[in-house]
Amino acid sequence: MGLSNSESSQALKRTVIIAILSAVAVVLGIVEAQIPLSAMGLMPGAKLGFANIMILTCIYFLRGRDAFMLVILKTLLTAFILGTFSSLLFSLFGSLLSFIVMFLLMKGGRMQLSLIGVSIAGSIAHNIGQLAAASMVMGTTSIMYYLPILLVTGIVTGIAVGYAVRYLVSSLSQISLFEEFLR
Amino acid sequence: MKRADMLLIAVILIAALAFLVPRYLSGNEEKGEQGKELVANVTVDGKHYRTIKLTKEEQTIDIRTERGYNILKVHDYGVEMYDADCPDKVCLGFGFITLPKQTIVCLPHRVLVEIASGAGEDEIDGFVQ
Repeated sequence: MGLSNSESSQALKRTVIIAILSAVAVVLGIVEAQIPLSAMGLMPGAKLGFANIMILTCIYFLRGRDAFMLVILKTLLTAFILGTFSSLLFSLFGSLLSFIVMFLLMKGGRMQLSLIGVSIAGSIAHNIGQLAAASMVMGTTSIMYYLPILLVTGIVTGIAVGYAVRYLVSSLSQISLFEEFLR
Repeated sequence: MKRADMLLIAVILIAALAFLVPRYLSGNEEKGEQGKELVANVTVDGKHYRTIKLTKEEQTIDIRTERGYNILKVHDYGVEMYDADCPDKVCLGFGFITLPKQTIVCLPHRVLVEIASGAGEDEIDGFVQ
């Protein structure tokens, strides 16, 4: 392939990190699917967005295309395991919008927003993406009734995810696998 | 958290409030007009399926499509999704709804139930494609 030794070892490390992060993201996705949020009086179908922890961590350490790969892998694998193909389109739409927003904020607005702010923006974008996909498929805007509730829950889950990412990043930075990806 | 984070949270909260406050006010008005008849518009795949009067008496509505079935139950001037064979059962989580503009959505079956006030015959207005 014409890669030098250090280049190929870095490429291998990237692949390993993506694999580990997507495995954890899928497990978190399965765990949160077991939590009956709607039974607690919240918006049915709302999720805590734990998998976002892994995606934001990946954006922090690796390149945009690596994180994009992680988003696709996580969404497809979770749909395969949970058998929720009917909602695959919605979760893909939400995840991709969330990824794009977080990626742009990390590249451009890193000076202004901390990881927590980026994570809040990401989870709001996820909710808006899913609602937009849903209202397009259903051919109606009346689902937007749930937008305000989702905005508020997005802030709460975004803060939780943001703090988790902050702790995870500082711990992972001490592992040799992540050493050369530090900023 | 930085100052920009706080600003972001504040902006989002204000946006959410801007949606919620007018709805809360109009919701109170609607409650004042007692005796106004409410209907539930059922839409499948973006097409109008049925309009159901929300009565005090119990009635069950069977929605059968090629994707599966959804059973709605109307009682006490409200409606709830009683049973469905969709994979995620999210629609069952919406609970019992009684106020105009409230909705029940079953995404896998593309079923939408929306409450509207039944005054006049203009409930078709909501189905512009």
